[in-house]
Amino acid sequence: MSPEWIEIGRGLCYAGAGLAFGLAGAGSAWGISIAAHQCAGVLREKPELFGRMLVMIALPGTQGFYGFIAAILIMTQTGLIGGSTIKISLGTGLAMFFIGLGCGIAQFISAIKQGEASAAGISLIARRPESAGRAILFPAFVETYAVVGLLATVLFIIFLTQPVVLKFLG
Amino acid sequence: MIPRIRNFSKWGFVCGRISVLEGNFLPKEFFLNLINQEKTDDIVAMLQDTFLREYISPGAMWLGENFSNIFDRCFNDMAFSLRDDCPSTLPVDLFLIQNDYLNLSNAVKERKDFVFPSCLFSYDILTAIAEGDYADLPKTFKESYAWQTGEIFGINPALLDIIVDGAYLRHLLMFSDATESELIKKYIYMRITSYIIIAMWRGMNKGIPLKYYQQYLSPVGEFNHLIDDLAVSGNIENWRGIIGGEIGEIFFESSEYEELDPISIFDLKVNNYLSNMAHGGAYQTAGPERVFAFLLGLLTEMQNLKLVVIGRINNIDRDFLRARLRECYV
Repeated sequence: MSPEWIEIGRGLCYAGAGLAFGLAGAGSAWGISIAAHQCAGVLREKPELFGRMLVMIALPGTQGFYGFIAAILIMTQTGLIGGSTIKISLGTGLAMFFIGLGCGIAQFISAIKQGEASAAGISLIARRPESAGRAILFPAFVETYAVVGLLATVLFIIFLTQPVVLKFLG
Repeated sequence: MIPRIRNFSKWGFVCGRISVLEGNFLPKEFFLNLINQEKTDDIVAMLQDTFLREYISPGAMWLGENFSNIFDRCFNDMAFSLRDDCPSTLPVDLFLIQNDYLNLSNAVKERKDFVFPSCLFSYDILTAIAEGDYADLPKTFKESYAWQTGEIFGINPALLDIIVDGAYLRHLLMFSDATESELIKKYIYMRITSYIIIAMWRGMNKGIPLKYYQQYLSPVGEFNHLIDDLAVSGNIENWRGIIGGEIGEIFFESSEYEELDPISIFDLKVNNYLSNMAHGGAYQTAGPERVFAFLLGLLTEMQNLKLVVIGRINNIDRDFLRARLRECYV
């Protein structure tokens, strides 16, 4: 395999890592903003609800961390961090790119939708503060799929960087 | 593809406020209980559990007239407060422009007593109009045939009210064109239809020839046909077929109550119908429909409170008050 193909493969890996973190971070910021607007309106009328609202605002922020974990894992497994000398073929690079992209999209959309679910939960808490326990469940269900997305990403990255697979992908 | 959530977070703040404020809405049982009260002091004490608590102090001397102003002030204060937080003022202006046109009605009659809070037409503009300076007269008013033909000068004040009503309806149509919300568009359509029917029905009962409505209420866009057909038909029994749809059915049901006041019953039933329709907006997490539904609910609540409180102070029959209660938001 020529050094140019190896470089392209590495470049695709890093692009995948960037997309995983970038999309997830953007989604989290967007989701938090949706929940925070709603929360600020509630606190304008009932400041005493701040404690119950805080978790609801923070929930869409987890996707940013998941994207960060995925990006770091791609970088450590492919040698950008830690200086390992594994050879990244074009096939491996493409696979990593799409894993990063898939992870980023899953985190991006789930963060926004979680922000919307949090906003709906915030509305419920505003009307019935005693329902805070139930309201947190709605965004928590959305979180499930962000976690599943991260888990799949981690497994794929580890699997694809096994020596036997690297050899198979060229 | 980016999920379509345009404007969602922009409406979040005001809708967050509404989420809390909705908790203060009163159920129908509250009004039925209020109707059963004997003493004004007991009524005032019950009002401490409502949006009016900041406006009413127990123990003071209260007259029906004071209350009427308080209900209006409470609604207007809330509407203006929410208006400041809305990304688009349209859902609030929909309710507040009625005050503007009531003020405008005085201004075009050269009166300067503007008792309603101004929203779109400032008191300076209204004063200038009252003094004969028509430069800032709203576009909706200038679109009337009477203005364009110059007939407006020296016209009978009763007919001037019809012209102002026409301008108000044209303003509602402008709002309908400006909003993307299907719910608000449908509300405006039905509100204009019912407004035209009530205005013409009342006019007919007062002996005002309906041709004046053709002449002075128009043009009201797609509603010109309705005005023409109602005016030409002559007989109120034909109106149901002309109006058609849900409003036509409500009209038919209301016109059966000949011994009572069928126009008030029609108004009540239309309001109940529109409230039920608009209530769908309350299930939106954040958006203009939520604000619109809340304000309609608040307006209904204030009208119910006004009816019951002033009715009880003036010893109006309890059964009459119960029958006239509008459907509540909760």
